[in-house]
Amino acid sequence: MSVLLDVKNLRVDLPTENGMLHAVRGIDFQVRRGEMLCLVGESGCGKSMTSLALMGLLPRKAICTADRMAFDGVELLGLPDKKLNQLRGQRMSMIFQEPMTSLNPAYTLGNQLCEAMLEKPGVTRAEARERAIYLLHRTGIGNAEDRLRQYPHQLSGGLRQRVMIAMALMCGPDLIIADEPTTALDVTIQAQILRMIRELQREFGTAVVFITHDLGVVSRIADRVAVMYAGQVVETTDVAQLFAAPRHPYTRGLLNCIPVRGKTLPGSKLQAIPGVVPSLVGDVGGCVFRNRCSLADAACEQEPPMVNTAAGDKIHYARCHKVTAADAMQLSEVAA
Amino acid sequence: MTTISTSSMPTGQTSGFLQATLKPVPLWRRKLNRMLGHRGLVLGAVILAVIVLAALFAPLLAPHDPFEQNVSQRLIPPIWNALGSWDHVLGTDKLGRDYLSRLIYGARVSLIIGCAAALISGAIGTTLGVLAGYFGGRVDALISYIITTRLSMPVVLVALAMASLVGGSLKVVIILLGLLLWDRFAVVTRSATQQLRDAEFIAAAKAIGASTPYILVREILPNIMSALIVVITLEMAHAILLEATLSFLGLGVQPPTPSWGLMVSEGKSYMFFKPWVIVIPGVALAVLVLAINLVGDGLRDVNAPDGRN
Amino acid sequence: MLIYLLRRLAIALCVAVTVSIVSFSLLHMSGDLATAIAGPESSAAQVEAIRVQFGLDRPMATQYLDWLGKAVHLDFGKSFYFQGPVMEMVSERLPITMKLGGIALLLAVSVAIPLGVLAAIYRDTWLDRVALVIAVVGQAMPSFWFGLSLILIFSVTLHWLPVAGNEGWENFVLPAIALGYYAMPAMMRLTRAGMLEVLGSDYIRTARAKGLGKSKVIFKHALRNAVIPVVALAAVELGFMLGGSVVIESVYSMQGLGQLAWDAISRNDYPVVQAVVLIIAMFYIGLTFLADVINALLDPRIRTR
Repeated sequence: MSVLLDVKNLRVDLPTENGMLHAVRGIDFQVRRGEMLCLVGESGCGKSMTSLALMGLLPRKAICTADRMAFDGVELLGLPDKKLNQLRGQRMSMIFQEPMTSLNPAYTLGNQLCEAMLEKPGVTRAEARERAIYLLHRTGIGNAEDRLRQYPHQLSGGLRQRVMIAMALMCGPDLIIADEPTTALDVTIQAQILRMIRELQREFGTAVVFITHDLGVVSRIADRVAVMYAGQVVETTDVAQLFAAPRHPYTRGLLNCIPVRGKTLPGSKLQAIPGVVPSLVGDVGGCVFRNRCSLADAACEQEPPMVNTAAGDKIHYARCHKVTAADAMQLSEVAA
Repeated sequence: MTTISTSSMPTGQTSGFLQATLKPVPLWRRKLNRMLGHRGLVLGAVILAVIVLAALFAPLLAPHDPFEQNVSQRLIPPIWNALGSWDHVLGTDKLGRDYLSRLIYGARVSLIIGCAAALISGAIGTTLGVLAGYFGGRVDALISYIITTRLSMPVVLVALAMASLVGGSLKVVIILLGLLLWDRFAVVTRSATQQLRDAEFIAAAKAIGASTPYILVREILPNIMSALIVVITLEMAHAILLEATLSFLGLGVQPPTPSWGLMVSEGKSYMFFKPWVIVIPGVALAVLVLAINLVGDGLRDVNAPDGRN
Repeated sequence: MLIYLLRRLAIALCVAVTVSIVSFSLLHMSGDLATAIAGPESSAAQVEAIRVQFGLDRPMATQYLDWLGKAVHLDFGKSFYFQGPVMEMVSERLPITMKLGGIALLLAVSVAIPLGVLAAIYRDTWLDRVALVIAVVGQAMPSFWFGLSLILIFSVTLHWLPVAGNEGWENFVLPAIALGYYAMPAMMRLTRAGMLEVLGSDYIRTARAKGLGKSKVIFKHALRNAVIPVVALAAVELGFMLGGSVVIESVYSMQGLGQLAWDAISRNDYPVVQAVVLIIAMFYIGLTFLADVINALLDPRIRTR
């Protein structure tokens, strides 16, 4: 499988009233064709900023730098708008978190669905319409033909999000970036949408960067996972490995927080990671997790390296001083 | 092999690491800073302050009595003209009255009318608009009907006709303008309230049992404030300009009271040869209205939520 | 849809009637019409004679209904002053005022919207500041003074355009500018504000994510939503212009409806005043109706309610 998206040392800074906010502080990751990479982390860890940076949708004031941010070999950073627009919507598309406000209230769904496809030369209205109907069906929307004539305000949140997904698939993109697409929906709808995304992704062979804060979602749909914390990727590996043998103390802390039926004794305290995420405004140095980590010591004042802890040609990176290559650690050894 | 310590929190190292939480700056101080940083607002406020002070201290500042006529001194040009003199810095009008003094006293007329009319019409219009926007239904229908009726009336004509019958004077102008200029307040507050009515925080307030007056005053009003401020300043300026127009047409403030509009009308017959008689009061009007508008815009900019991009 | 239109028409007529009632009452309550017509010098007997002659001794309701009955047939009675039918005088003057208002609005809109869009796109640049300065200065000048100044500059000093009258197109240029400039800043700011708000919304981000070009994002997606309130404002402004044409027509000596009304007011010729008020009101109502229709066409959320 070839590498579709290659990101090295991506940084996003935002000038604020109180100083420079370092929202994304040098992250690396790759996405291969057809694979589902989950970017998981809590609010404020920089995952949304990453997605906006990839699509070139950062706010005007934001400063974005990277050693490499290449989509299928094309360097995205500094790409002129015209070229970027040829990629956006066509070969890489995005699904946003808020279905209620992400559609233009003044135009029909059909109009908005077909728009991106009609940008491609040689596509007729009929063709676009046909594809729109087909995708609406595939995303589970009945009466697709009638829906084309409807306006966004006539649909519920769940339906609108399905339309957004259909819209993202219109031009058959190689990559979809989904920024917490199910977070704003009811729990019952969430499961349906997740399943649908996974099926469609597999069927169309689209690579997906799925951003979420929910480890449950990750376990259900991811191929590979990158855990983000405070603007950095702290651990990345395939999904099975992450849950079986998490290396980074943050990941282990997160997994520890999830009560497990059978294991967690009734009446026992729920686990939480002590401390809070430090501010990313101004200078940030050393390991950013050290104020909450039970393993931290003097060495952690230095920026920790990204270490591959897997044997052979497997990949399991963790950004920590306390792991060594090919370490095998048990989940239960993590102290509270 | 790495050992895992069982202590819960590492010691010493954390203090150097944790970013010093920045001491929160109080809201009012932040607002003040923003206001002082807004150049338009500061400029407008300064000009307005100068005019207000000039109006307040008119008796001390005016070099002459604005009503004092001196026919031998009529139509002297201002100081920048060859025939001007320092005795009458801005010249004299057709009855020999000092222009500068009339200008300063004229500021009083304009300011009083602007404030009074805007307050009266603001009170009427905001009440109507918020009630209509919030309650919708029949209340909205009725108030919208009233607004539409008022808007459909050519207010300048009606005001002229009424002023012609009653006789123009300062009080009449204030009352007339106050009763006639509330429409923009009503329209703007109505639509602003309507937009808020369906917002979640209103539903949330209702859910916790907030009473209607509470919601109207504490939830809706602050959120429409930025729109309201703009309208207040617009209408204050509007009132000042309308008074000038009424006085220009002879149905506003009556001579010999110095009103800038009246001064323009008095000078109209001479305007082709002695343009300063109309230029000076017109510029004064423009500067005052400009200052008010700058302040209104500035306040709106400062109060607006931080822009997303 | 048809029922909606018929309902609006019915409301419009009611409003027109209400306007006439209100203005009728306001005028009759402001002072004694008979005295005003007779003049301050006249004796009580003369005033009484006039009162009877013009039917001003009847109860107000009767006077009003009588007037309304005739007005429905477009018979606005006879002018007190000219002894000729009011309708004739009005129909002579109306086209001029309409022409003036239309040109003025057109000028205002064709400056306001592009300027507002540019100011929003190039926010905080020199372009934005210049636009704001124009807006702010434009709203600060009284129209009568601006009108006079235009005459001073363009007619007297430069001799480019005529001073007064309403024969040729050149007579309309200055008055139209003087009438329209006051509406321009409000519409420009509204366009700018609307554009800024819309440009920050999520669906614009979606449009950009779809790879749509800048002009398409601005004109198709943003402007369409931002311009809706401006349309409504434009109708209001035109109505205001029609009503406020009194001043400009007086300054430029144009024989329009406003000038007619002003003459009538000075001479206490109330049938004429009543007629003009009603007619301008009808125009305003028609304009707002038009604005609503356009609004509904532009915003599907209103249309499909």
